[in-house]
Amino acid sequence: MTESRNDLADIKRKVEEVLGDAPQLLKLALENVLREHDPHADAQPGSAGRVGRQSGKVSELTAIAPLKPGGADRLRRIFKLVNGNFAGAQKVATLHDMRFVFFENDTKILFATTYDGDWDTYIDDFATKIPDLMDLLFSSVEGWPGIKDPGVKDFIASHQLTADGWYVANPHLSVVDTRRLQRINDALQEFLDKVSGHVDS
Amino acid sequence: MSILEKVKALVHHEAAGPALELDDIQATVLFDRPDPYFGTHVLLRFDTAAGGRALLARLAPHVRSAADARDNTEAWIAVALSHAGLRALELGPDLLDSFPAPFRAGMAQRADHLQDVGPNAPDGWEAPYGSGQLHLAVSIFAPDEASWRAAMATAHAQFADLQGVTLLGSHDFGAQPDSRNPFGYRDNISNPAVEGGTAPVWPGQGRPIKAGEFILGYPGEAGVPLAQPGPEQDSLGRNGTYVVLRKYRADVAAFNRFLREHGGDADAQELLAAKLVGRWRSGAPLALAPERDDPALGADRQRNNDFTYARDQEGLQVPHGCHMRRMNPRDSKLAILTDVNLHRLIRRSTTFGPPYDPDLLEDDGAERGLFFIGLSAKAHETMEFMQQEWINHGNFIDLADERDPIVGQQPEGAIFTVPERPVRRRIHGIQSFCTLRGGEYLFMPGLKALRRLAQN
Repeated sequence: MTESRNDLADIKRKVEEVLGDAPQLLKLALENVLREHDPHADAQPGSAGRVGRQSGKVSELTAIAPLKPGGADRLRRIFKLVNGNFAGAQKVATLHDMRFVFFENDTKILFATTYDGDWDTYIDDFATKIPDLMDLLFSSVEGWPGIKDPGVKDFIASHQLTADGWYVANPHLSVVDTRRLQRINDALQEFLDKVSGHVDS
Repeated sequence: MSILEKVKALVHHEAAGPALELDDIQATVLFDRPDPYFGTHVLLRFDTAAGGRALLARLAPHVRSAADARDNTEAWIAVALSHAGLRALELGPDLLDSFPAPFRAGMAQRADHLQDVGPNAPDGWEAPYGSGQLHLAVSIFAPDEASWRAAMATAHAQFADLQGVTLLGSHDFGAQPDSRNPFGYRDNISNPAVEGGTAPVWPGQGRPIKAGEFILGYPGEAGVPLAQPGPEQDSLGRNGTYVVLRKYRADVAAFNRFLREHGGDADAQELLAAKLVGRWRSGAPLALAPERDDPALGADRQRNNDFTYARDQEGLQVPHGCHMRRMNPRDSKLAILTDVNLHRLIRRSTTFGPPYDPDLLEDDGAERGLFFIGLSAKAHETMEFMQQEWINHGNFIDLADERDPIVGQQPEGAIFTVPERPVRRRIHGIQSFCTLRGGEYLFMPGLKALRRLAQN
């Protein structure tokens, strides 16, 4: 992208608009960031249903909730036992990641995840397919109605906060897409090894 | 499946649900449309609450219950109301608010969730859809022309002289040779079996699905009843269900041109037509007739739905992306964790317009299409799920952005993948063959609830 004088004037105007009240150093920093910013990057931000942000195919869910007494400890023991390997989550195949953070002396939990699609699309499927995993992860949360409760969607939404800022490196790749690309690359590399005639065993 | 899960599954499915109150459930919920079928959808507005109540009171005795519909030899009348209709009846605000949010909002307001954008967007719909004017839909289904006319006369007699009610429109359907749809396929072959239902069960329907998935007030697949409107002890929802009504215009000329451009000779065109749908036009499924059509199989209800995908996980017979396999993946291995039994609809779709003409290559201006009619205890949710995941997306079958070849809204440069050996064939330039002309979310009450609505 070539930068014309107009662009620069435009950037300076935007900086004044957004940070007019800030120290000069901060304004200069923003100006430098904006010079490298591609406004045409194709991750159109949208909504992920009721709450949360969507970027391309990928959505974010951030929830903060109070924990039952002893809940953080129980969850820590579970996390240690499975060592970050949630087989059920692997099967779901829409979850890019999940993060559980305890804070305020283990009285609260922050749950954050990146996933494909809209947040409540598959929640009924979780209730019949992986109810134990869902209840295991969330029954330490104060007021958790159980994954089979008809009000569970409202419960989750009531604890959700929409992120104000969020960056996604590959907004157009779902978990399923990524797994396919991995498989294709493995097969392609094997094929190229054979074609090149230099297979090191 | 672990042993524990197997035991749990056994326990779960052995427990039979409570008996269905057949005399309170509308016949349409549990019984297929007749074959052949004739009928009319009548759309009405309540100008006054008193007018609306009077009409419901007059219609109620003529609405067929499932107890009275053990065979389809007579015409029947079915009724369903929009939330705007319930508001026009001046129900209490608590009761009105107790209906699920998508139904309260109405289909047009849910366009984002349904991906009804571009040519399908509500601002281009025909009146009265999406305007809030459609309060009551009365459907007449009949097995022959004479009983259809008689039922129509009965229905008309109920609102012809009534004050406070306006007839918005009336749409005839059916009367197609062999009950074919606008594209020439026998349709509505596969419907879920409802646990406790009394309609005949056909081979291949799969295990009966818990009644609560389709009828309010009974346990669903998760073991508990779905949310119902009104106070729990005295629910207005009991024995009712929700209806998704979507009127599609079928672009038959574009469909025929697509087959000619991409199919090859006449036989190859028919094979491509079968690959798009998953069935030959006769209704014979590719799973049982992979090479050529078998009209006797297509017409035989004992056989035409009796298959699984267990031996075709690669999709070499039935493409993963074809219409039938998307709408009911059965035992297909899906890329995303899914309980396929949670996303079923009872379908009562009806075709309108002239019979299918394979030589139609330019739009002749005739109205052709179908009313998609889907029923379930959460029909709006299921429809939104299908539009997002199974119709306008391919992620669940590892086909990235590919869409349903029949009802999907295709973007520029869209593709349809046909698995083949040694490599798949990708057909470029598939177009949209169905355009949404309107639709509504409706509530189909039980008969007691219907009489209560007439008295409120």
